[in-house]
This record gives sequence, structure tokens and C-alpha cells, in this order.
Amino acid sequence: MTSPARVLVIIPAHNEEDSLPGTLAEVRSKAPGVDILIVDDGSRDGTSRGAREHGIQVVRHPVNLGVGGALQTGFRFAVEHGYDIGVQLDADGQHDPAYLNVLLEPVLKGECEVSIGSRYVTSTGYKAPLNRRLGMLLFSGVVKLALGKTITDTTSGFRAYARPVMQVCQHDFPKDFPDAPLLITFARNGFRLVEVPVVMRERVAGQSFYTLGKQLYYPYKNLLASLMALIRRPV
Amino acid sequence: MAFLSRTQIVVAVGAVLLALYVLDLVRRRRLSEEYSLLWVLATAVIAVLGFSTPLLVWITDLLGMMGAASTVFAFGLAFAVAMLLYLSIKLSRLGFENHTLTRDLALLRHELDELRTRTSGEEGK
Repeated sequence: MTSPARVLVIIPAHNEEDSLPGTLAEVRSKAPGVDILIVDDGSRDGTSRGAREHGIQVVRHPVNLGVGGALQTGFRFAVEHGYDIGVQLDADGQHDPAYLNVLLEPVLKGECEVSIGSRYVTSTGYKAPLNRRLGMLLFSGVVKLALGKTITDTTSGFRAYARPVMQVCQHDFPKDFPDAPLLITFARNGFRLVEVPVVMRERVAGQSFYTLGKQLYYPYKNLLASLMALIRRPV
Repeated sequence: MAFLSRTQIVVAVGAVLLALYVLDLVRRRRLSEEYSLLWVLATAVIAVLGFSTPLLVWITDLLGMMGAASTVFAFGLAFAVAMLLYLSIKLSRLGFENHTLTRDLALLRHELDELRTRTSGEEGK
């Protein structure tokens, strides 16, 4: 690449007014060269206001669509504004922007189109609750079966996407959770996936996207969506 | 007209009343023509089965049903299932369209705000 790649950090946020300022400050100090976009997914608190006060661009959904919908809006924005790479980063402070370069490297080098910040590639000291660990084992297995490739951290929300990926995904995208089905969709469209080891922290404040009701619905929906992503024709 | 059972009369009359109500909903624009079609068809079938005993008996024998009334209810149930599936499909599509519209609205809104800020900035110069 001749000119430096334009990178947009996409932060989906739903009722994250408490943790967002810290996350924004951290991204700015640790990764000064990147642009930031907040996708406020129908928050009922001051998420948008807080971000605008920081001089950050905010796109606000009038209603809550879920993290997948927020990410898709981010992709549309990145494609329309000519960004080369989009980085998905959680608003809750789980993801350390210090790892941004590590995450971007394989995409910049053209080794892959999607790089995934993974908690499990090497032992990084992250301890997930049991139900979460079981889920991860299951969907890691599903992805392995589908792609013949091991992705240990299928639910990681810390990823970098090359422009062609965002172009495809701005229109076609698995709803609700951008996890295993999305990874399978990527691979089916000929995009290469690479996992890079990162350290993740506990969320600082706010509430996770994964509430109890969704915990029951999640395995069913994700299994079915994975299967469909596998048998559906690529875009 | 020889009716087999009182149930049959109730179902047949009910079907006719329902069909009339559906048509009235269309007249008052509370129900679109598209949705009324399935309802009118279903109520017509049920009404015909209810009023025409020979036809009902013939179909009952054909399907090996235990009783004539069961045939009427079976048709009603089949319709209900078809309608529910149809509505689920419609709902999914509406949800998908809603999703797309919400995202587009959010992006347009953002663009509008940007433009407004830029124009007011230029005016200030």
C-alpha cells in the first residue's frame, strides 16, 4: 500500500454512557491515527451525547437492532466514506486498543481479510464463566466442522475487516449476533480468517449484549444460522 | 338441506359471518386485499363443507376421517397453520426491511447533521 491505510474503529454501543468515555479516551491515546465511529444502537441513556461531546462521529439507530445491526451500519459508513479497514471494538472497555496494531498487521500485510483478536490462541489469563466456555467450545467445533479450520474465539468482538469484507457485509449479514455464522459466511465468500492473540479485560460498566433470555435462544439460533451460512450460496 | 350435526351448522354459519366480517374489514381499509384472499378462501371452503352434506361425507370417506365434523375442523386447522406460517414469513420480511430502513435512517440522519453543522459554520465566516 502506497499511502497509509485509512482505519475506522467502529464501536457498537447500547446504553454505554458509563464506560464509553474511558474507551474513547483510551483509543485516542493508544491509537491516535485512527478515526472512530460510534454506532449508538438505540440507547436510552446519554451514550450519543457523551460521544459527541468528545467530538466523535455518532450514527444513532432510532431503535435497538442488536450488535450485528450496529456493526452492519458501521460497515456501510466505512464503505461510503472510503475506509480501507474497519475495526470492531466493544464499548465496554474489554478490548485494549494497545492491541490494535497487532490486529491490523495481518490485514495490512494482505495475509487475510478478517483478523480476530482471540483470548485463546495462547494462554492470556482470561477466565470465562462455565456456560460461556461451553458455548465457545461448541461453536468453535461448529466452525471447525464447517471450515476445517480452528477458530478458538468465535465470539470475540475485537476484529479487523478489510474493505471487501465490509462491502459484502453491508448488505448481507447474519442478524443478532456476529459470531460463528458470520465467520462461516466470511469463509464461504472466500475471505481468509486469521486469529491473533490479545488480552481481554472484564467489562468496566454497563450491561452485556448477552442477556439471560438471549442465552437460551443463542445456541439454537447460532447453530441454525451456522448451518444456513454453510449451505447458502455465497454472495 | 340435511345437516349431519348441530356442530356443522354452527361451523358453517360461523364461516359465513367471518367471511362477511373480513370483507367489511377490507371495505373499511383495515385489512389489505392481499391478506383477505386467504381468509375468504378458507371461510368459503369451510362454509361449503358445512352446507353441502354429500360433499362433506364424500371427503370424509376419502380422507378416512372418523366423523364429518372432524373433516370441517381439519380443514379449519390446516388453514390456521397455513395462515400462521404465511404471517411468520411476512413478519420476517418486515423485520428485515425494518432493519435496513433503521440503518439507512441512522446514516442519513448523521449526514444531515454533518451538513447542517458545515453550512452553519460557513455562514459564520
